[in-house]
Amino acid sequence: MVRTRAAVLRRTLLYTGLTVAAIVVLFPFFWMVVTAFKEPGQAFSQEIFPSDPTLENFRRVLTDYGFARYFVNSVVVASSAALFATFFATMAGYVFAKKEFVGKDKVFGFLLASLMIPGMMYVVPQFAIINWLGWMNSYKAMIIPHLANVFGLFLMRQYMMTIPSELLEAAKIDGAGEWQVFRTIMVPLSIPIIATLFLLTFQFHWNNFLWQLIVTNVERLYTVPVGLAMFKSAHEELYTLKMAGSCISVLPIAALFFFAQRYFIEGMTMGALKG
Amino acid sequence: MPRHDGRMRRHERPGPDGPGVNPGPRPRPSRRARDSATSYAFLAPFLITFAVFLAFPVFYSLYLALHQVPADSFDIFGGLEFVAFRNFAKLFADTKFWWSVLMTLYYAALIIPAGIVASLALALLLNNRLRLVAAYRSAFFMPYVLDMLVVGIVWTLIYSPHVGILTRIFESIGITTFSERGFLGMPASAMPSVVFANVLKGAGFGMILYLSAIQNIPQSLYEAAEIDGATPWKRFTAITLPLVKPITLFMVIIGTIGALNAFAEVYAMTGGGPNIDVGGRALGATWVTGYYVFDTFYTQFKLGYAAAMSYVLLALTLIISLVNRRFLRSEV
Repeated sequence: MVRTRAAVLRRTLLYTGLTVAAIVVLFPFFWMVVTAFKEPGQAFSQEIFPSDPTLENFRRVLTDYGFARYFVNSVVVASSAALFATFFATMAGYVFAKKEFVGKDKVFGFLLASLMIPGMMYVVPQFAIINWLGWMNSYKAMIIPHLANVFGLFLMRQYMMTIPSELLEAAKIDGAGEWQVFRTIMVPLSIPIIATLFLLTFQFHWNNFLWQLIVTNVERLYTVPVGLAMFKSAHEELYTLKMAGSCISVLPIAALFFFAQRYFIEGMTMGALKG
Repeated sequence: MPRHDGRMRRHERPGPDGPGVNPGPRPRPSRRARDSATSYAFLAPFLITFAVFLAFPVFYSLYLALHQVPADSFDIFGGLEFVAFRNFAKLFADTKFWWSVLMTLYYAALIIPAGIVASLALALLLNNRLRLVAAYRSAFFMPYVLDMLVVGIVWTLIYSPHVGILTRIFESIGITTFSERGFLGMPASAMPSVVFANVLKGAGFGMILYLSAIQNIPQSLYEAAEIDGATPWKRFTAITLPLVKPITLFMVIIGTIGALNAFAEVYAMTGGGPNIDVGGRALGATWVTGYYVFDTFYTQFKLGYAAAMSYVLLALTLIISLVNRRFLRSEV
């Protein structure tokens, strides 16, 4: 009896700890949503739930402040960047996992070494290149510079190395060409890692605010985070609108995470756990 | 499987098919040469974007750092005045730069231990057979995937003077220190507040790493310790902590790199401020190097100077990585 009572106490304590931690960790997001539903005059009221919730803030940021446009830009940029980056990494991962070629180890070592370079390093020279190419204020400037994802290539290669080479050999004996082997065997067998990488690159590009800020200075090309940053500096006092814009900014990633959290968690921690 | 492949490779390499050593006339190119050609065809899109936008910029940045880039000039290929190391010399004499290095170290000194403690605590809580563990795990991890900019903006609301919810909570328990200027408006509390927001956002990542390390510890070790009469605390310090050390070292490394790259959180919350008077100079309490690079480039448009600064950042990163690697190799 004593033992079970101790177990109940222990479990109660654990649940209390977990719940308190969850409240603390999620509070900012909760507060963001709650504030976004408040009347502008009530921005600082301490009510946990607004007594008179309104959708007006969302309507205003989407229409009066251009967030609908920013949202479309974000979707275009993040999904096309994710598509190409994943495709490039899948093709490259395949040859590093399954083929022998001149200079393989050297090229791979060189690519991995680039992971040590701090991201801030790229900002100035990439800007200079984009400027020289005359790409400022264009989708291609927002998308192309980050298509070579070395970390993604590494994930791909690790995964593809576990696919038995015999399958590829058998297909080749049956007369399949290189591209066919890649398309009909490697890609279908790598769907979980392809999905993971797509989600991670989508998330990266959706959140990659610094780069989009640098290469765009016309409003029609702002992505949601850039629009939000501009809104923040222009309208410091419009808190409820700022929170509505914030909700719009995190919603797609939060939704993706909700439906595909396993891919996010595994993909993001895989490199660290195996490396 | 991969190991097997490796052996095959070594076996094949000295064969007669190597490039350039192909003697007699052959009707078709060797298999290795053909493989190389198709391999590079598959690699082409990746390698080209890598070369143009990641490899070349690293070298081009050095070129910029050694030149004077006029603020109004947009033609930055050619036509720049060569100034050798003048940018670097200026940088080493720049109080604001050394202050930013100091603030970066301060940021790292706060965020690394706090991040480790928070991650480990969450992992220990989750390492129990309870219902809903998966839901809690998701809840803790979710902020990690969300945008730092948004998180920062939300915290500016929570931290704001007079009306911020945290300011009010502190007032309700009798602490009015933050009422006038808010948590982010006071030099002493600005950096810890930025770090606190960031730790809550990022703890889920370390939590997963610690959790998988803890779950790999054989249960028999704990049982043996329990039989020997070890208290739970003793079991934690004598078994768990030493066995998750590789993760802790990894957290130190990524924490350091994160500090050297810190930007979005500062941009969203403080803009490098609030200013402190240090010997007659106004210096920002959250003025980290990553933010200084951004400010030099984006606000002042001094490309050469920003490039020089980012090179110093690279040098610091490499030195720290090398030291860490040495350390890792000898310790683990």
